Amino acid sequence: MVWLRVFAAYAAVLALALTLNFALPRLAPGDPLGFLLPEDVLAEMSVEDQARVLAEFGLDKPIAAQFADYVTGIFSGDLGISLRYGAPVWEVVAGRLPWTLLLMGWALAFSALLGTALGVVAARRSGQMRDIGTTVLVLAIGSAPVFWVAMLLITLFSAQLGWLPSFGAVPLMAVPGSWGYVVGVAERLILPVTALTIAQTAGVWLTARSAMAVALSRDYITVARAKGVPERAVFWRHALRNAALPIYTNVTIGLGGLLGGALVVETVFSWPGIGQLIVQGVEARDYNLLQGVFLVATLSVVAANLLADLTYPFIDPRVRR
Amino acid sequence: MTNASYLGLIPALILFLTAGNAPAQSLAPGESGNAVEPARFVSDVNHEGPKEADRLTLGMWVAAGNVTTYTIGNSWNDWVLWLVYDKLREPSPYVGNSQDWLATRVEQMSEDATVWEIELREGITWHDGTPFTAEDVAFTFEYYREGPANRWTHHASSVPRMVGIEVVDHMTVRLTSEKPMPNFDRITAADLPMIQKAQWEGVDEPRSFADLPIGTGPYRLVSYEADRFYRFEANEAYWKGAPVVQNLDLVMIKDPQTMFTALKTGEIDGAARPVPPELVLEWQDDPDLEMISSPTLWGAWLDINVAREPFDDRELRRALTLAVDTAPMLDRIMLGQGKPGTHAWPHVDSFWTKPDLSADYDPTTAMEILDAQGYVDADGDGMRERPDGSPMVWDLKIASNQPLFLRAAELVEDQLAEVGLEVAVESVDPGTLSALWRTREFDLRIADITPHGIADQDMLIILYRGDAGRELVVDEEKKAIVERWLDADTREARLAISYELQEYQTRYPNRVMLWYPESTFAYRWDKFDNYIPSAGYGIFHKYSFLPEAARDGVADPMIAPGQ
Repeated sequence: MVWLRVFAAYAAVLALALTLNFALPRLAPGDPLGFLLPEDVLAEMSVEDQARVLAEFGLDKPIAAQFADYVTGIFSGDLGISLRYGAPVWEVVAGRLPWTLLLMGWALAFSALLGTALGVVAARRSGQMRDIGTTVLVLAIGSAPVFWVAMLLITLFSAQLGWLPSFGAVPLMAVPGSWGYVVGVAERLILPVTALTIAQTAGVWLTARSAMAVALSRDYITVARAKGVPERAVFWRHALRNAALPIYTNVTIGLGGLLGGALVVETVFSWPGIGQLIVQGVEARDYNLLQGVFLVATLSVVAANLLADLTYPFIDPRVRR
Repeated sequence: MTNASYLGLIPALILFLTAGNAPAQSLAPGESGNAVEPARFVSDVNHEGPKEADRLTLGMWVAAGNVTTYTIGNSWNDWVLWLVYDKLREPSPYVGNSQDWLATRVEQMSEDATVWEIELREGITWHDGTPFTAEDVAFTFEYYREGPANRWTHHASSVPRMVGIEVVDHMTVRLTSEKPMPNFDRITAADLPMIQKAQWEGVDEPRSFADLPIGTGPYRLVSYEADRFYRFEANEAYWKGAPVVQNLDLVMIKDPQTMFTALKTGEIDGAARPVPPELVLEWQDDPDLEMISSPTLWGAWLDINVAREPFDDRELRRALTLAVDTAPMLDRIMLGQGKPGTHAWPHVDSFWTKPDLSADYDPTTAMEILDAQGYVDADGDGMRERPDGSPMVWDLKIASNQPLFLRAAELVEDQLAEVGLEVAVESVDPGTLSALWRTREFDLRIADITPHGIADQDMLIILYRGDAGRELVVDEEKKAIVERWLDADTREARLAISYELQEYQTRYPNRVMLWYPESTFAYRWDKFDNYIPSAGYGIFHKYSFLPEAARDGVADPMIAPGQ
């Protein structure tokens, strides 16, 4: 019964999100005409001619009919044609998704590990001058706009030191699957992953530090210490296990924020992921493309939350009851 | 010979004797004497790099779809189109002396300039090996007249509008237009890309058409991913000779800083977007890079929404143009790299621009006009109100991806405040700005204008013919000039009427030109050092990759280093 309620809640969220995905692109002022045709051409066209261009993409239909097409498309696997790319939306999104997953996967892993490790260690010295200094530093770094961090990284590691490439995901001439290709991708991954990791780590760090500090102040920690449990075991086994749940929640919920960061980072590094598709879609008012990308983003975030819900019991035995 | 006959020779003798003292000024019909500024080598040192290359990687920043006239629509990336496609005459409508290219003869056949004949060059083939014939040319005009609109279709459907498209023989086409087209050879023939009938026949939705394009140009597109890369291979059978660069890889880098970093680090060999003014100064002595400032005939202008009250008051617009001082904008925003705006239309360097056309900065006169029109400060807050006493605050919109325009907007705000006009600057995303422009929901706007908009003389008229454009023609005097221009059947007559329109627009503008940028392009000389400037295109275009012999007549002069 509990699971039924959970899945019903997810279904409701999904339905609402899908409706918003349809509405949001259309709520932005304008339509694809501004992308399809330059101003000088639009200026010489009659309103009827402009309407004919929109009709080429089915945008002359009533909004209800467009919504019906969209919903039908989701269930039939046909998300329409991207006017930006002139190709089926599924095809365009499927080509980009792996690159974003690669980028976000590493960033998520690094930010989770780094944020947790640093936060937990900081909790040990909670309230001390060193802790205050570290907090200020982490907050300052975490507050820096991700595009600015990305540009600094490019300036330092690409322009000044010449160690790493500044754009793209693959070396243009490398044969896919070859050693040169793999190394090329790895090299190009370092800076965007670093930028995203820096942006995400502060949030994880703050959660980890505060969750750990709370855990360390609990009675069971006092009891453990009174029982003579070694400090290392108190810290890692008793405190960290109890602090793990909010950290885990923060990391999984952070997926949405990471996607937002990927949007900026992918643009700065010309990384061919779905973040760039969103930028291109917004510029072109490519409704089909935006709907497709938002659908993937929605499903990803919902799936991450569902995964978190399903795996909580393994982390926190209290949830099993 | 009589004495009178001898006397008649005296002026000729004087001309002959003085010819060596002053350069002879023989203007072709329809030319004003204005000329595109020569390109300038900007770097301190001109290195001697390779004149040929096996492969070049260039950065581009605006995607080009599948490189057709339906996926490329503006001057930011039309050079990519010209790698694949050719025109009847080249290089462009922006110069008065374009030369025969796919055609060997483009000739006016009727006195009223409505009938023209085109004879094609023998032996030219499409990329698939099939011959280029009169059928293709006729089809191109028919397709653009009847099919969906794009940036080039006006050449067949509007100005001029073709009423007769006739294949005379295998290599000859005759075109008849509704109104005279005395500049057909200069403009339409030099701007319209020829498309292959076999590829496009039956394509009803060209914007969704995703096949690789087939052209007659020096490069064939072999693969692409629209916003990642484009790979071109040289067309070895190109009629002007095989290109000197075998493979061209264009990579998409939207972020300007990333693109210029990639150039500096050697990840790309050239950046096909103008170098920002501050970077030009920084890179001047860079040993790895060379820079050429080339006339791209762009402009940045303040667009006034004449469809909205009170901008339908032409005297108010005149006051507005007199209140904007463009000289400090060039200095502060472009660091002096370019020319200050003088008048909105056409580009100051176009060969058909009326000489000495200028709207001078004169805030005193601006204030007198505003006073006379009733826009006075009635409530004593330092800002003027409408004649009925209601407040008057104009929005000035700019695109959020244009930091230079934000600075310009702030300057405009300050300058207009000095004459008592209140402006509120607002930054919006480019898509929104475009939509607001189309629905005329703005007061003022700062935007780029491309050579197609300000250096193509037909465009000056075309922009008044659509629904949005018609709103720009808000008074009968201007309408009458436009109609006379359409009926003029000689180059001279069109130029004279165009002068009238230019003067009118300078006096009562709907746009105030802020600056004409000097576009500087950078490349790595050790990879390829054979770029040439061409007006309207900069240095990244197909002519830079053609053999020396093929470049005659399509390149601009260039001032060498140190001169």
